[in-house]
Amino acid sequence: MEKTKGRNSMSKRQKGRDRTFLLFTAPGFLLYFFFFITPVLMGLYYSITDWDGISRSYNIIGLGNYVKIFQTSQFMKSLLFTVKYTVLLVVFTIVIGIAIAMLLNRKIKGKGFFRAIYFIPAVLSSMTIGLIFNKLCYYIIPVIGKALHIAALSQNPLADKNLAMWTILFVNLWQGLCIPTLLFLAGLQSVPTDLYDGAALDGATSWDIFRYITIPFLLPVVSVVFVLTLKSGLMVFDYIMAMTGGGPGSSTRSVAMLIYKHGFTQNKYAFSIAEAIVMGIIVAIISAVQIYFTDKKKAV
Amino acid sequence: MVEGRKQHNGLTYVILFFGILLIIFPLYITIVTALKSNVQSSQSFFTLPIPIYLDGFKEVLSNERYWRAFFNTIYITAIVLAGNIIIMPAMSYAVARKIPVSKAYKLVYYFLLLGIFIPFQVKMMPLVKLLSSLNMMNPTGLGILCISSSTCESVFLFVGYMGAIPVDMEEAAWIDGASTMKTYTSVVFPLLKPMLATVLIKQGLWMWNDFMLPLITLNRGWKDWTLTLFQYNFQTEYTINYSLTFSTFVASMLPLLIFYCFMQKAIVGGLTAGAVKS
Repeated sequence: MEKTKGRNSMSKRQKGRDRTFLLFTAPGFLLYFFFFITPVLMGLYYSITDWDGISRSYNIIGLGNYVKIFQTSQFMKSLLFTVKYTVLLVVFTIVIGIAIAMLLNRKIKGKGFFRAIYFIPAVLSSMTIGLIFNKLCYYIIPVIGKALHIAALSQNPLADKNLAMWTILFVNLWQGLCIPTLLFLAGLQSVPTDLYDGAALDGATSWDIFRYITIPFLLPVVSVVFVLTLKSGLMVFDYIMAMTGGGPGSSTRSVAMLIYKHGFTQNKYAFSIAEAIVMGIIVAIISAVQIYFTDKKKAV
Repeated sequence: MVEGRKQHNGLTYVILFFGILLIIFPLYITIVTALKSNVQSSQSFFTLPIPIYLDGFKEVLSNERYWRAFFNTIYITAIVLAGNIIIMPAMSYAVARKIPVSKAYKLVYYFLLLGIFIPFQVKMMPLVKLLSSLNMMNPTGLGILCISSSTCESVFLFVGYMGAIPVDMEEAAWIDGASTMKTYTSVVFPLLKPMLATVLIKQGLWMWNDFMLPLITLNRGWKDWTLTLFQYNFQTEYTINYSLTFSTFVASMLPLLIFYCFMQKAIVGGLTAGAVKS
């Protein structure tokens, strides 16, 4: 008798526990479902229509928008720019990030000071940074360029078709290097120092040490930085909006910029959603591939 | 050997100082230009502000649009932070404890992780329709929306952290007859505090600095602007007024820089957390 009573109250408590857990989960999940999943599903639906976003009626046109994306040169041109930009961003971020991290990891004085300064850009808004550099390019760069007799920098580099992308890339790196550098630094600090000492005793050159000790220890961080940077590059928007608005001409119009322009200023509502979905699929595939490979590495 | 090492370190300092120059230079120009009159600036952008000219700064600080944007930004950020204090740790607690025994919660967790793969642009346009049909194209609406946008990342961080805290105390509370709610508020939540700080800094900085979401939801009238929108819209109005333009940048950056001075360690932790895990 006593026993069953105990069990009853136990299961009662368990039920109460489940109810509390449900209460804990419901608000967050409903919010997420409503503002995250619903718009994605709405988007999937609208992308097979010809809706302009304003008129009352629209038709379902199947995959027409998707076909049109690959037939018009606009999207492909933006995609080409975005891919080129992203590749450069990823390469520079990894190379310069590792280099700075290795310098900061040396036995130097004022480590904390350097680190504090190097991390300032990370807390600022990319919009503010973009606008500041926009003004610098307009007012300051030509002054410096003229003083140093560098023809390319004697005018606003953002107004130059060939230099605009490089300028945006520079500003992106100015801010975007902070977090990867810190991650690399943490990775470097995870290398046991006796490994270095042992290698030095064995007469390994600095290149050998870098190649066979540092790089293997950094690889997991490299893969994380790779994906983070890749995603931010493929979706670059704030810097471009602040600095060139996609110009001069359409030379710096990233895919995110194109989607924004089509969706909000040109009433190509359904079409812009289809463009976003294509881009989304590309990003999702890259993320999935990365997770697949990191999982594999863990298994080995 | 020793000499070679010294030379190496010399080069290290040179490169690191060059890096500092690259970081400080734009900020230096921003600050001195804000503190110089237009005449002073057109003579040279590089000189120190002597004498200091404060009219540009005063004009920004007496602009009701700046203060409106400032308080809107605080208001929206506060909503997001409140959501991350009240909803996310509790939700993560339930999910973390239920995943091993319940398929439904496992599904919920994977469903949340799905969000990490979907770029914002995919849901951008329908989201605007959704918000405007709900009459939520205002700071409050954006705040609520942003709670949902932070769900994936926050729950992911909390659930990961939950795995590292011992269940003993929780079980002891349970055996003592404490309700789940009581166990959560008096045992689990206090243990989650270090991760909560990380999450709040991460989400707070993101919200404070975000441009895209305010741009698509709040750019209809200045009363709804955030600081990023204020700067963006302001700079198109005053292109020739150096002092005023750069003063707006300073006025917008200052809260962040002050925050950074006092909380550097916590901020660094907050911004790099999660990245290592994925």
